Amino acid sequence: MAEEKIKKSFSETRAYPIVFMVMVTVIFVGILSTFYHFTIDQVNAYRQMKLQESILKIFELPTQNVQAEFSRYISSKETTEINYYIASRDSVILGYCLPIRGKGLWGTIDALLGLSPDLQKILKLEIIDQNETPGLGGRITEDWFKDQFQNKIIINNGIIQTFQLVPEEEKTSAEQINQITGATASSKSVVDMISNNLEAYLPLVGER
Amino acid sequence: MTKKEIFITSAFTENSVWKQILGICSALAVTNLLMNSLVMGLGVIFTLALSGFTISVIRDFIPKRVRMMVQTLIIASYVIIVDLFLKAYYPEISKSLGPYVGLIITNCIIMGRAEAFAGKNSPLDSMIDGIGAGIGYTIVLLVIAFIRELFGFGTLFGFRVLGDWWTKWSIMVMAPSAFFMLAILIWFINSKTDQKKG
Repeated sequence: MAEEKIKKSFSETRAYPIVFMVMVTVIFVGILSTFYHFTIDQVNAYRQMKLQESILKIFELPTQNVQAEFSRYISSKETTEINYYIASRDSVILGYCLPIRGKGLWGTIDALLGLSPDLQKILKLEIIDQNETPGLGGRITEDWFKDQFQNKIIINNGIIQTFQLVPEEEKTSAEQINQITGATASSKSVVDMISNNLEAYLPLVGER
Repeated sequence: MTKKEIFITSAFTENSVWKQILGICSALAVTNLLMNSLVMGLGVIFTLALSGFTISVIRDFIPKRVRMMVQTLIIASYVIIVDLFLKAYYPEISKSLGPYVGLIITNCIIMGRAEAFAGKNSPLDSMIDGIGAGIGYTIVLLVIAFIRELFGFGTLFGFRVLGDWWTKWSIMVMAPSAFFMLAILIWFINSKTDQKKG
């Protein structure tokens, strides 16, 4: 009886909700981190597979058996500053693939940029990960937007080309990109991400 | 109430979607494919059952003033488990469901059952109530998705049912059709059940 009284009085104190909340949080966060620990390898394996598949797609290589094709055609090069991928078939270089990263409106945008063997043109842009607004900025993953970067010249008179944004559905010239209506910030993020990364890393790509 | 009555009540007579008009947002969002709807439904059943059970177990200890925080924390934990599970073992489905798995947290049905049932009843009853409410929700999702996928893609669970002659109704793929389907479904069911009463 006495014990119950002490317990009850504690549950009426101001500290009780805080203590309770902390306890519940610790327990559930513990459960979650255990579960996370058990699934993380599987999640990473899938992510790795998807990355390899995207790289193969950039160079229009077959993707039936991703792992085998990847080790056959793609070699990765790691320097202290950057890691990038080189695609080659029968010792002819098909191009380079540069992982790029930039700030979006809500979070980091991760992408892959395929570059031609002479490092003058973009082969393809592939968005790997983004957290933009679904239906607005999220449309940066749509093909029509990404495909605009295909065959764009990246070096103009020795300096990195910067792209201008023009409204959606307007005709574009070589250095212009149609932005997504209602998602100017996300469109600009992608364009900036490309030129910033090229400026920083292009000189490091393709050296023997 | 017996266990069976609890189940029947929460799944059908007091169905969250067509009687209480809860959980509509996700019902509109994921129902263009049967597979997505099924996975979403299973995720909601799992979350409802376990969050109901857990909240009921600790219901006497939860301080009244912070009970919603506790409920949200518990619900969110189970939803994150569902999300991690899908990411690890069904990555394709996880990708096509996108943010909607995480948004199970905000599904009004779950908080609703926690407040209305799990906070006052025994753990086992709460679990049955959760499963019932989840199944009621899943049935609605599957009925809408059946019609939307059939007319929108000509397929059921990805298998081609209608041949190449079928002109796909693109409105069925888009969200507005879910509004119409849901409204028709609610109208149909409620007019039937009202007649019985009369």
